[in-house]
Amino acid sequence: MRVTAETKAATREQIVDAARRLFAANGFGATTTRAIARAAGIAAGTLFNYFATKDAILACLAADAAAAAQLEFEKMTGQADSFEEDLFGYVAVGLRKLKPLRKHLTVLLETALCPLAATTADEVQSLRLAHLETVACLARKHHLGELPPMALQLYWTLYMGVLMFWVTDGSPKQEDTLALLDHSVAMFVGWLRREGKRETPAEGEP
Amino acid sequence: MTPSLADLLRELMRALPNDTEAPSLPEPLAAVALRPLPVGRWQRLSLLGTLQAKIAAAYAFYWIRSWFQNAEDWERLRAAVHWRTALRLLDSMGYLRGAVMKVGQTLASFPDIVPREFVETLDRLYFDAPPMHWSLLREMVRNELGDDPENIFASFDRRAFAAASLGQVHRARLTTGEDVAVKIQYPSIARTIHADFGNLYLCLLPGRLAKEWEQHKKVLDDLRMRLEQETDYQAEGRFLAKVRPLFHDQDGIVVPRVYPQHSTAKVLTMERVEGVHLDQYLASNPPQEQRDEFARKILRALYRMAYAGRLLYADLHPGNFLFLNDGRLGVIDFGFMLPIDDELWTLFQRIERALRTGRRDDRIAAVKEWAWITEDPADTERLRLCEEYTAWAWRSRYEEGPFDFGDEGDFRRGIELLTELAMRHYSPGRPCTGVILRMDFGVRSLLYRLQARIDTRAIAKEEAKSHGLGP
Repeated sequence: MRVTAETKAATREQIVDAARRLFAANGFGATTTRAIARAAGIAAGTLFNYFATKDAILACLAADAAAAAQLEFEKMTGQADSFEEDLFGYVAVGLRKLKPLRKHLTVLLETALCPLAATTADEVQSLRLAHLETVACLARKHHLGELPPMALQLYWTLYMGVLMFWVTDGSPKQEDTLALLDHSVAMFVGWLRREGKRETPAEGEP
Repeated sequence: MTPSLADLLRELMRALPNDTEAPSLPEPLAAVALRPLPVGRWQRLSLLGTLQAKIAAAYAFYWIRSWFQNAEDWERLRAAVHWRTALRLLDSMGYLRGAVMKVGQTLASFPDIVPREFVETLDRLYFDAPPMHWSLLREMVRNELGDDPENIFASFDRRAFAAASLGQVHRARLTTGEDVAVKIQYPSIARTIHADFGNLYLCLLPGRLAKEWEQHKKVLDDLRMRLEQETDYQAEGRFLAKVRPLFHDQDGIVVPRVYPQHSTAKVLTMERVEGVHLDQYLASNPPQEQRDEFARKILRALYRMAYAGRLLYADLHPGNFLFLNDGRLGVIDFGFMLPIDDELWTLFQRIERALRTGRRDDRIAAVKEWAWITEDPADTERLRLCEEYTAWAWRSRYEEGPFDFGDEGDFRRGIELLTELAMRHYSPGRPCTGVILRMDFGVRSLLYRLQARIDTRAIAKEEAKSHGLGP
């Protein structure tokens, strides 16, 4: 029997849904790929035709959440007065959407999403690129020009630091993360502005 | 091209604010930075604070600074040598952490006046206090009230119209039509203050055998109590609700209503009182009688809270009062109130009875009881100074007729006496003495600026009488 693209997409969706439910109920560590396959109504081996590892399923869930955040943020765009405010708003919406996965994200942060990771899965790569593209767009919108690779890498490192802090943040409603995010954004934008000044020679200079 | 790890670390370190010695990065990244082990005492202290310690610092400085705004007319005292040392230290750290202690000493030493250098340092640090932009504010409101400000309020002004205890105040309108002021706190301040003080006490333990330890600890306890209370908006809401019914229309004193359904420990929604602050009021050159009337209302508000509410209004600075167009006085901040328990109340009454006679012997007896001064000859000088200070502070209560609070010579005399007490490190006596001294000086400076000439004795008598406290 030929498996159509629609059937493939539907099966993939079933796997992701089942994983979402099981991660929420039992945690990431206690959920096996076999259990996910069973809950999705497919054979254990079939699951690997769609996702190479359990981490990849988690990455897919994170990418879905990031896409939803992107949509919500686009609705809000235009409200912010500054790059800092926009950037903070963008990350904050992302955190809100990622919240159901908060406890399980450590594994991604330590591997695929890590700023120093050499290779990453497609889902993670697209998540990272989409996020950084939005950040670069916001910088252009606020007349900060094109962000160089170092700026993007620095941003990603700080962002990952915030996420890492967030997954274990024990403060009520993770309010410590809000303070950390505010500081990190201010730190990044402060650096960016200093860099901008350094690279723009003053009038009269060669 | 992907930057190298070394490049990234270098840029990360450069991205850190210039005034921060210890990296304020989350641990996994900070660990990568491979910092050297701290060895010196101050280095250890500087590593104590959490990321938000800096915010707490900014807050403490903001709070002190608020006392000195518009104080140009006041004499600036020169700093003592240990002050300069403290300042240099503070400056080099650029961070509160260990400097909380210095702030505490500062408060004990100079409740209302500081050397110019210190004020300038405070100014610079104050500006580090981050205002909340709309995105952060929205997250805080969402966290605290469960939805975006636009969905909770009929209207919400995105721009803050005033700074508050490590937060800011926004104009808004409830869906039921009331105009309100919404005070919102910067995230995680209260917990940070609590944690940092815990660390600070631990760190100071080796110094507990020093002569001044008890004194320092009292000052720190006082500072901690104040900071913790001021960051608990729910407590402030309770004080507001307790104080508001004490005032009636004929008093001409307004205490805003609280809206509990729109308030939490970090968001306080209250009735908006429209008026001007002291500077703006004085700039309109109001006539003497009007200034006197406002001064009477300030005193009446304080006596009413003490006699009828058994509360000391400990946060006395000009920003907490509003001068309304129709002659009413608004009292708008209840961030730091000190409840008077039965034991203290009995003592207060006894001391007050003795002090308002104006007789020196009564005063000496009262001072001895208040400050636990013994017959020991070593205490003679302390007794002399405390008695002189008390005579100064209470003169308006035992002299007949209107008292001229605008007399500059008299005002300076009070400052000199207080400074001398502090410079000699005389123990302030009861734990709440610091609060009372600050209150004393706060009200005196307000009345001085109003150049008020009023009969304090009559107001106090009236207030005491109407609450069954006798003449």
